[in-house]
Amino acid sequence: MRRRAAVASVIASAGVLIAGFQVGAAVTAGRTTTSSGTGTGSSGSTAGTGSTGSTSSGSTGSTGSTGATGSSAKDGTFKGTTVQTPFGPMQVAAVISGGKIADVKVLQRTDQGGRSVQISNQADPMLRSEVLQAQSANVSTIGGATYTSEGYLQSLQSALDQAGFTG
Amino acid sequence: MHTTFETMGTVVSLEWAGKPARVTDVRRIFEAADRRFSLHRPDSELSRVADGSLELLDASSELREVYATALGWRGETGGAFTPHRPDGALDLNGIVKAWAMAEAGRALGDGDWCLNVGGDVLVSGQAETGAPWVVGIVDPADRAELLTAVPLVGARRAAATSGSAERGDHIWTRGREGAEFAQVTVVAADIVTADVLATAIVSGGAESLDDLTGRFDVDVLAVDRNGELRATPGMRELVAK
Repeated sequence: MRRRAAVASVIASAGVLIAGFQVGAAVTAGRTTTSSGTGTGSSGSTAGTGSTGSTSSGSTGSTGSTGATGSSAKDGTFKGTTVQTPFGPMQVAAVISGGKIADVKVLQRTDQGGRSVQISNQADPMLRSEVLQAQSANVSTIGGATYTSEGYLQSLQSALDQAGFTG
Repeated sequence: MHTTFETMGTVVSLEWAGKPARVTDVRRIFEAADRRFSLHRPDSELSRVADGSLELLDASSELREVYATALGWRGETGGAFTPHRPDGALDLNGIVKAWAMAEAGRALGDGDWCLNVGGDVLVSGQAETGAPWVVGIVDPADRAELLTAVPLVGARRAAATSGSAERGDHIWTRGREGAEFAQVTVVAADIVTADVLATAIVSGGAESLDDLTGRFDVDVLAVDRNGELRATPGMRELVAK
């Protein structure tokens, strides 16, 4: 089904293809300006909140004020109030650690169509000690990003293959 | 049983149990994809489209299908995944491998097999009776170590991992200072979704992570520049002690 839909969309997109280049460039440029700060920790998560647009400034401000209490801030996760925006409700939570904002999470927000989106599958921080420490003997195969064709991964995989390693 | 061969600048590793796998068909699929889509081959169809000597509308239906699929994903990811380089050049590398893996998966059909192409994994069935296929995830901070192991169970048949390389980012990121995430693993029902979204999250950072996990039925394990982990609830269960 997917394949058929894709083929159909080729026909539909024939005229769109050239325009696509320009749209793509515009999208990229637009998004670059919103994703201010790619650092880790507070700056990264602040960028994530800010990226929801100017309408979210109310809720961002509320978390900012939590952080502004400085060293007297209590550690923990604090939910901000739900702020009504022209595009729907917006709510964030701030994670305070050592009196500083360690993270800001978006709990409720709107999508581009203005509908409210509940975050049910959000990726949250996880300690390394929480993850299963993989024993290579339990592993069927190795997953990882390919950096170069001569990389570690291929080397390891081929070594496993040569060893007749079957997991 | 297992077999390994090189193609598309990487290594294909296929392992199977029970009835013989259609190894010849799998090899043919990858070699055909390489001939058609490699930008390292000046005579490939994609190279000819990229240099303007072949009009897109005159290209094969297969190439246009892959391009249309890639454009569809660009829309789905808000541009975090794109089949174009920053200079506008057409580059389908980000999707061709997964697309060929999906084709190979269809050729292999049902049964018990595990297809690993350069660290992206598509499986069917189980490794042995009662035991799922388990993907060991490389630790980006120490690539001689595994970070954890992810079993592929139920409808979650595919795991793809994208990273920002030590030798400069191989994914075009939007941030000024490079990628927020050193490595992103996405587990999904199909390999194209897993691969595209892993790439999109490395490219788009935390913003794309939150957006895409909310809209797609996937589980994600992301490792940031400091080695800190973020995991969706489902991934947390999969990798929990």
